Amino acid sequence: MPEITKQAGLGLGLGLRNTHFEYILSEWPAVDWFEAISENFMDSGGRPRRVIQEVAERYPLVLHGVSMSIGSTDPLNFDYLAKLKALADELQPVWVSDHLCWTGVLGVNSHDLLPVPLTEESFSHVAERVRQVQDFLERPLVLENPSTYITFSQSNITEPDFLRQLSNETGCKLLLDVNNVYVTCFNADADPVAYLESFPSENVVQIHLAGHQHCGTHIIDTHDGPVCSDVWELFRLAWSHCNAPATLLEWDGNIPAFQECHTELLKAREYMDANGMPLPDRAGQAVSTGSVPNPLDFLVPEVMNNTVLEQV
Amino acid sequence: MSTLPSTMHAMQSWMQEALAFPQSTSSQQLEQLLEPSSRLSGTQRLAIYQRSYYLRLLKCMREQFPALCHALGEELFNDFAYQYLQALPSVSYTLYELGRRFPGYLEANRPDAGQPDEQRESWVDFMVDLARYEFQLFAMFDAPGHEGKPFASVDTADNRLLLQPCFALGNYRFPVAWYYHEVRKRNDAGFPHLERSPVALVRKDYLTHTFPLSIPEYTFLLALEANQNIETALEMVAGKLELPMNQVSSSWSKPNGIRARWITAGFFITAD
Ligand SMILES: [Fe+2]
Repeated sequence: MPEITKQAGLGLGLGLRNTHFEYILSEWPAVDWFEAISENFMDSGGRPRRVIQEVAERYPLVLHGVSMSIGSTDPLNFDYLAKLKALADELQPVWVSDHLCWTGVLGVNSHDLLPVPLTEESFSHVAERVRQVQDFLERPLVLENPSTYITFSQSNITEPDFLRQLSNETGCKLLLDVNNVYVTCFNADADPVAYLESFPSENVVQIHLAGHQHCGTHIIDTHDGPVCSDVWELFRLAWSHCNAPATLLEWDGNIPAFQECHTELLKAREYMDANGMPLPDRAGQAVSTGSVPNPLDFLVPEVMNNTVLEQV
Repeated sequence: MSTLPSTMHAMQSWMQEALAFPQSTSSQQLEQLLEPSSRLSGTQRLAIYQRSYYLRLLKCMREQFPALCHALGEELFNDFAYQYLQALPSVSYTLYELGRRFPGYLEANRPDAGQPDEQRESWVDFMVDLARYEFQLFAMFDAPGHEGKPFASVDTADNRLLLQPCFALGNYRFPVAWYYHEVRKRNDAGFPHLERSPVALVRKDYLTHTFPLSIPEYTFLLALEANQNIETALEMVAGKLELPMNQVSSSWSKPNGIRARWITAGFFITAD
């Protein structure tokens, strides 16, 4: 299995979103790299496939999935994995990632990233599946810590320990989402700094940054705004522990113009230099009603503007 | 009292049931399975997932069926879509499939299902046809097409004309394509009258064009879709609609006739 060696120097990337296609194709902005949602392109025979091919020719690309369901007790979906492999063979991403989660069972897909109880049983189950997936894809898998809202009573391994052991035993690499650390820790009354201090930073190849909504009693991971100052501080700490991980901003709800996303991403530079001073914080707006964790609608293309009614 | 799920599989089955059917969970069981936080009980913490399960999927449904949502109003659309998602949850890794079974579900669960045909509500037929049309457009947006490759020209011989891969026919009871595009233009279109509305959908340069068709044109394209032979399809139209063959042939091949218009519009590619 090929090793992941290229992460150092990949730099600051953005999630590739449908609403930015026109801008990217006309301006070819100076962003270091893009992360594309695998499921949005693996079946594409239309414009999205054409766009991703052009993007992959000009920028380093990472494929990030939301439906592998590595923690599910359903059998692995080899039809899905075959499509993922074909897409990866075509686009040659720097790596392929997904989440430590399950999305459904008994054939159903909730399209949510659901938490896995962290136990010996789930560890053996997930580790075996990671091995199978890596053998099948013939490349290492990168797994991300999800944002979670519940704690299972039966869990008796911490998430950093679970991921350390998983990475050590299977050779998979890790995507550390510092916003998810913040969200999960707040929701579980845990200390995010202690979480980061115990995280296996030596196996981290990528970091995610995103905005969230603070609801007082809990935080939801909405990816719909700028990164808050606490998360930037966690990023500073995470960055100092890791080996120049590829850093990516996710913005999935109320997506602003490309330049605004890019400006937000570039704030990361201020936290990558030990002596740098952060820019003023623009986060902390009022909580909007109807916010949901991990919004999905950005995954659905806006088709209406691509249709024409001809005259009789 | 029910026993606690002990295996990982039982736990996942339990949680999935709790997301789709929140009323199915016993809070006593739930508090044993999930830890409270300092601010929320286990039940309240699970409710974050339960609320978002339908909110997120309903938003995707509204994006796949914007005109139907406009026609029904968001509240009623959400009611139908919620029932649909409960009855037929997603079984695909991709959200693009989320609405595929919705038109069929609406037809099978129409409020007047028990009535004889003549007493059925025509607005339900309109909703079903509009849903079919919208999903067809949604699917064609990203289906395999012929962009980047050569199309047929007016000089291509009839026996080498093939329908292009991103092509579909629809035969609706209402002018749903007209309604859809009125919604797109943000016109407040009223409920259209009953009017047989056959259409062809063709994607060219990543734009999906809808062509309203006459009955002979639709009959011809249906035959062509089945056997991919122009001559045979023309004969079928003449036979089925009892039209003289020379009239049918002439409307096909005359200058600026159907053939020329459809070739220009990207209906055809060239057989090898
Ligand atoms: Fe993330």
